[in-house]
Order: sequence, then structure tokens, then C-alpha cells
Amino acid sequence: MEDLDLPQMKREVESLQYQLAISREKSSITVTELVKWIEGCVCDDPFLNPELMRANPWVEKGKCVIL
Amino acid sequence: MGEMDTLKKEADGLKAQIEAARKAVNDTTMAAVASGVAAAPRVQLKNRKTLKGHLAKIYGLHWSADNRHMVSASQDGKLLIWDTYTGNKVYAIPLKSSWVMSCSMAPSGNLVASGGLDNMCTVVNIKAASPKTLRELDAHEGYLSHSRFLSDTELLTASGDTTCCLWDLETGKQKVIYKSHVGDCMCLAVSPDQNTFISGACDSTAKLWDIRDGGCKQTFIGHTSDINAIAFYPSGTAVITGSDDCTLKMYDLRADQEVNGYQDAALNAGVTSVSLSSSGRLIFAGYDNFNCNIWDSLKAEKVGVLSGHDNRVSCIGVPDDGLGVCTGSWDSFLKIWN
Repeated sequence: MEDLDLPQMKREVESLQYQLAISREKSSITVTELVKWIEGCVCDDPFLNPELMRANPWVEKGKCVIL
Repeated sequence: MGEMDTLKKEADGLKAQIEAARKAVNDTTMAAVASGVAAAPRVQLKNRKTLKGHLAKIYGLHWSADNRHMVSASQDGKLLIWDTYTGNKVYAIPLKSSWVMSCSMAPSGNLVASGGLDNMCTVVNIKAASPKTLRELDAHEGYLSHSRFLSDTELLTASGDTTCCLWDLETGKQKVIYKSHVGDCMCLAVSPDQNTFISGACDSTAKLWDIRDGGCKQTFIGHTSDINAIAFYPSGTAVITGSDDCTLKMYDLRADQEVNGYQDAALNAGVTSVSLSSSGRLIFAGYDNFNCNIWDSLKAEKVGVLSGHDNRVSCIGVPDDGLGVCTGSWDSFLKIWN
């Protein structure tokens, strides 16, 4: 990990000022919405909805064909 | 005090203010919010296909947007493009440098990119009459650890020189350079809306960047070692990181902080790779100990294991249709599971 030189340090301070200024939302809202979002997608997730995994492209469909 | 000392003091002060601002919005925990959610079932996956053909350690894999083809990179000096449904190799692309560390495929399926200790990113057109090198992107001062296409004309790279870069593939020149990490950049992931991307580095931080103006918008701390792998939630509002500190973390972009952690006292192997199921409920994480653990992202519980590789799992990927997961290993094999 290199030490920063002067111009880099100035840029780092500017960057931190910018990062401080962003608006942060309360986690009670953001986490709740994230959990809701994920739960809403679970029925479309083949790993969690076995119905969807029936169309499994990596499983042999029919019997072997003798070439 | 010299100017440097003043600046350092200012930087430390700003970091403390950022932590205070994060604390101020941290009014709940994932455990509390997810307490009403049913636990994910135990996930027992079968190895449906093993793709054999590489002769040395596999370092990268990337699914095509068509959910069927895949590119893999190995230090045997080859990129292989697979039809995973048949197990056939569609193309074999010899690399100028065999010290490859990553590969990626464009959403169109027309281009693949690879790079590594040669410090370059080589872009190949695989749909030409025979695979042909389109560009050699040569400006990084360190190894190429990761790359992702935005389109056939734009590519993001992460490098051991601590920067990430957006390249214009029509000119072969750098469009934007993302500078702020103080350690090697190891991985990157693009947001679903393609306005931002997140990078993970050996300085133990993940940084969210504005793709167009190059500014670092947010810095996520908490890991105590290199971040090797990173993935965006399909919602675009959270990311998962995997680290040499043996843990994974979920960072909420809107609350600007860590909201969940995935670790096990028994696990003392670093995380090498990470990928999410299509809903984001399951995290597939590859580890140094030859296994892949499957985590319930909400309950932070392990719900499954993929074991079958004889060496480190170095890369992992779920195709866009979410129908399976592929693991790539130093044992030279790729395995598809569902």
C-alpha cells in the first residue's frame, strides 16, 4: 500500500467531502425494501421454485440414441 | 504542521463524519427485518455437467447472455468458448500470454476479453470468420484482474495498478480512469442500470463509481483483507463482497453501509468468487478450501455446499436465466450444478 503524495492526498480529501455529502436513507426503509424485493423475486428464481427447474437444459431429456 | 499533515487530519475527520452519518441512519438490522421471512430450504444441487478441456488452473469464467455459451480462461494459455448444453468447445483462442487472470464476454456474444500479468486486456472478435484480435488495450501499469463489457464499444477493467478504467473499443483508448483505491483492484461489477459500477481491492474497501464522470460516490469498509469478488444485487441497491478475510458482506447502497455478514467460525478459507441466484436470495461463494458454500442472503445461514473440485474454486457464475451455477477451479474443470 503506497503512501499518497500531495496531489493524491488533496484529491482524496475532495473525494471524501463528496462522499460525505451523499444522502443516506434510513436502513429501516432500505433494508425492508430490499427484503421485500428479494422475496418478490423468489418465485421466479429456479433455485427456489422447483417448477421452474423442470426446464433443466443440462439434464438428459429422452433416452440415449444409438448413432 | 506541514500541508500533508493538515490534509491527513482533514481526511481522518471526514472519514469519522461519514461513519457518524452512517450510524445516524442505522436504525435496524437485517436480522430484525428478515425475522419474519421463512428460512430458505436446504439447497442440494447435483453436478449436471463437467466441462473438460483445460490443461491447467482455470482463473475465470463468464456466461454469455444467451444462457448457453460460456467463456473460460486458463493458465494453459487458452480461452475456451463452450456450448454448455452439449459440453462441446466452440472456439479455442490461444493467448499471447498464458498468465491470464480473467475473461469476459460482451452481452452481444460477439467479443471476449482477457488479460492478466501481461498488464493488457486483449479483445477478440469471436464471430469473425476465424477469431481475430480486435484490440490490445495497453495502458495499465499493473496486472489485469477483471473486465466487463458494457457493450461492443465499451469495456471496464480493474487492475493491480490500483485503478479501474473505461475503454473505448473503437479507438482502443482510455475514456475514464477511476482513481482512489490504495491497493490492487481485484474485481468489479456493473450496476443493472449501467450508470455505476463497484470495485473491490486489496485495500479492503469496495468503491462505487459513477461510470461517466469517474467520481467515487461511496466507499464501503469493514473487510480486513483483500476483496477478491463482488456482485451487484439485481435490484441495483445492494452489493455482496467476498474477501481473503474468509467472510462475505452485504452493503446497502442507499443506507451507505454494511447490513449483513456471512461467516462461520469453522471456515478459515478465503473467498475467491461470488455469484447470486436470480432473486438474490442465494449467494454462491467459492473458497480456497476447494468448496463452494451456498448462503441464504437474508438469514446469513449456510444452506448448501457444492463439493467436487480437487482444488481451489477460483470463479463462479450464474447465467441470466438463473437456471444453474457454474464453478471453475484450479483443478482445470468447470462444473455446472442445479
